[in-house]
Amino acid sequence: MSTKENTAPELKEIHIHNPKNRIKESAGYRIFTVINTIIMILISIVTLYPFIYLVSQSFTSEQAIIAGHTGLIPEGFNIDTYIYVMTRNPIKIMPNIFPDLKVPEFIVYYMNTIFYTFVGTIMSLFFSSILAYPLSKTKLKVNKILSPFIIFTMYFGGGLIANYVLILKLGLKNSMWGFILPMLISTYYVILMRSFFMSIPKELEDAGEIDGLDKFGVFWHIARPLSTPIMATMTLFYAVMYWNNWFNAKLYLQDKSKWPVAYFLQTIIRGGGASDPDATQMSANIKSCAMVLTVLPIICVYPFIQKYYVQGMMLGGVKE
Amino acid sequence: MKTTTLKKASCVGLTLSMLTGFAACSTGASETSEATTIPSQIETTAETEEDLPYDFGYGVTFHADEPVTYTMFFSDASWYPMVETWQTEGVFKKIEELTNVTLDIKSYDSNDYMEQVTLDINAGNAAYIIPKIYDDSAFVDGGAIVPISDYVQYMPYYTEFYNTYDLSEDIKTITRANGKYYKLPGMKEANLINYSFVIRKDIWDAAGIDVVELEKNWTWEDLLEALIQVKAYMVEQGMCSESDYIWSDLWCGNESGQGSGGNLLGVMAATYDCNAGWNIGNGMRFDHESGQFVFSPTTENYKQFLITANSFIEAGILDPETFTQDDATATAQYYNGQTAIMSINQGQWANYEQNMTAQLGAGNYENYVITMPIGSTRNSTVSPERLENGVMISQKALDELGEAGFIQMLRFVDWLFYSHEAYDLTKWGVEGEHYYVDDDGNKHLMDGYCCGGLGYGNDEAESMTDIRLMWGYAGGNFWYGGTVAEMTDNLIPPVADYVARDTEYRDTPPLAPGIAPTEEQNEEINLIATPLISNVNSWTLKFVTGQADIETQWDEYVQSCVDLNSQGLVDIYGELYTG
Repeated sequence: MSTKENTAPELKEIHIHNPKNRIKESAGYRIFTVINTIIMILISIVTLYPFIYLVSQSFTSEQAIIAGHTGLIPEGFNIDTYIYVMTRNPIKIMPNIFPDLKVPEFIVYYMNTIFYTFVGTIMSLFFSSILAYPLSKTKLKVNKILSPFIIFTMYFGGGLIANYVLILKLGLKNSMWGFILPMLISTYYVILMRSFFMSIPKELEDAGEIDGLDKFGVFWHIARPLSTPIMATMTLFYAVMYWNNWFNAKLYLQDKSKWPVAYFLQTIIRGGGASDPDATQMSANIKSCAMVLTVLPIICVYPFIQKYYVQGMMLGGVKE
Repeated sequence: MKTTTLKKASCVGLTLSMLTGFAACSTGASETSEATTIPSQIETTAETEEDLPYDFGYGVTFHADEPVTYTMFFSDASWYPMVETWQTEGVFKKIEELTNVTLDIKSYDSNDYMEQVTLDINAGNAAYIIPKIYDDSAFVDGGAIVPISDYVQYMPYYTEFYNTYDLSEDIKTITRANGKYYKLPGMKEANLINYSFVIRKDIWDAAGIDVVELEKNWTWEDLLEALIQVKAYMVEQGMCSESDYIWSDLWCGNESGQGSGGNLLGVMAATYDCNAGWNIGNGMRFDHESGQFVFSPTTENYKQFLITANSFIEAGILDPETFTQDDATATAQYYNGQTAIMSINQGQWANYEQNMTAQLGAGNYENYVITMPIGSTRNSTVSPERLENGVMISQKALDELGEAGFIQMLRFVDWLFYSHEAYDLTKWGVEGEHYYVDDDGNKHLMDGYCCGGLGYGNDEAESMTDIRLMWGYAGGNFWYGGTVAEMTDNLIPPVADYVARDTEYRDTPPLAPGIAPTEEQNEEINLIATPLISNVNSWTLKFVTGQADIETQWDEYVQSCVDLNSQGLVDIYGELYTG
């Protein structure tokens, strides 16, 4: 018996892309594909160019920038700007515990952002899901009263001053919680989660209850483990929201040692309006360096989790 | 029957409430006719109490017997951010040592300062002392700010300056309809030129232009002719080609020029006695010849200004991208020697020199700040009002400190913002420690110190200590205004020279009369002005860059302003100013 008889037929014989078997593409389709690819490449270049330019600028020497010599290849390549940004202006953190501890401001802002993103995302997930889960129970009569109040907040708010006074009276101004708590629950995300919870078969929950679980137990041991896709999506949404937010910091965080990096970035980019005769613009390479450092984690993580973004947008879009 | 009676009763009730409403409205309207009560001289209140818990008086350093703390807002600039040493050994510490007053600073980033301060004031969370206020109109009617004009008699330094330099007419420009004013403005003995143009004098000289002589009486046409000659020379020398522009300006682009043409059109229009660019405001300007307010962007002067501005682009001198580009593009071209003229202000000289030395090498260039050309008037482009941004005091201070404590705080504020001693301290630091005064009375920083805010650059090794970055001296929150001697004590010779030339060669513009609109009138003015000025700016840029033809489309432009109710503004101003 030859070895050939025992082996499976070669792939090329049955492969769908075998030129012999392939459905012949029309000339029009091929032209469309080529044009489409060219357009997509052009769009990619258009979107990539500013970012590559930014990265290049962050490695370019200050004198080259002043002379207008900035391009895709950095002139006078150096990492001095990165060192400068990451070591400038040491500020005191936790003076009550470590009286002499001073950390460069950029590092402080970065650590703050990581703290806000980590703690904020966990808290947001927890509170959003324990709000969304009961809302998904259509038979719960109180939902008819609660839901309109919750949805109302999507369209109407108390306004800037009312929110500010609220934070002030709650003693949250200049507190790290003043940054997290106002963003704790996003109504839109709660509605997305509610739609997902509604799609969980009721029979599974009933089985849990029969086995002796209370309502929270059903949520925690049955609904939550079945909700990994929405939880992953919401983690991403909330994490990006906390990472990028600077407005709450602007409103509520006067103490610089509590600023997130996004607000620091915002201040140095806007810093020094020309109409102020006293103003000096922050050097372009410092700005671009801070921008690169700020977006870097998101850019590194995004390719691996982008599918959740797409999924998240479609979750709850179709009612079964 | 009962229903009919009820209906009648409710009708009567409604009518009464409407009438009350109308009456209330008419009371508000009558505010306009209330005369301002700004005295030409303020008499200082002679304090009879001998056992005041503090020292004060003209020429005396304010000093509280017991330590006191006052809250103060602070505009924190990101390019010299406040650091801990300001409090522990810098400007705030020195103020405390001299006065026994601790300033409890509530700082906000300078970009968000006004927004945050407004928010805090509206939320009842204002600090006692609120510096760096340009426009106080948003706070006047809320009752959160003290009408400071009721208390200035308690402030010896303020009254001395006011009386010595006769600032009553200037103060009337910030006086409100009720005859009071709400901020203590920075006051100046005289206005000094700030913005002008810097030229490459070495190239101009080589092109055969004697700018020093020419600038004394030159017009914009003369400047254009000179620039054409300079360009011809540069082309001949291979420094640029015929299609290049030799004037690419900063502070005019989309961002810094705010879509109005920014600094360049602002200063150029001022020489034609009209408003444009940064100075467009709501377009209203007082015409001293006719003795009335006019809507400046539709006047014949404005048309002449547009023709002039456009002529520089038509001649291939001024780059039309000036009005869209970012500032770095313009400065890079000037530093490289591609252009031969660019805008400058007092604070930028050292910066330009430093960058050009790095690009072209020391001795390979010569900068010179020119006197502004003459348009339809010989007036200088300085603002006629001798006032600067100022300090507001919150009502909270009066409520919490009581009148005696409030007056004590005012006297501290008076010393801090209006005394020569505090001016020197907050601007230069401590004499003998950070600066010294030479035999001619000029101030200089001591060896080892530099200060970007005072025009003293760091050395190449960057080994010097910047007194602003380190200790907060020469910051923008304290010193503004003052005598001419005070304002010019840090000007380096080339800058001082151009300030002096402007004063010598040009006339001081006359002060426009102050008007005091009510809150409703202010709202109406804003309502008309917002779309109107947007339209003016858009047309102006089209005319200047040649996208619209001034001769054939001028009437269309004027009609578009009329359609947007420019006459409405004129009417309101006419109502407010009766001569």
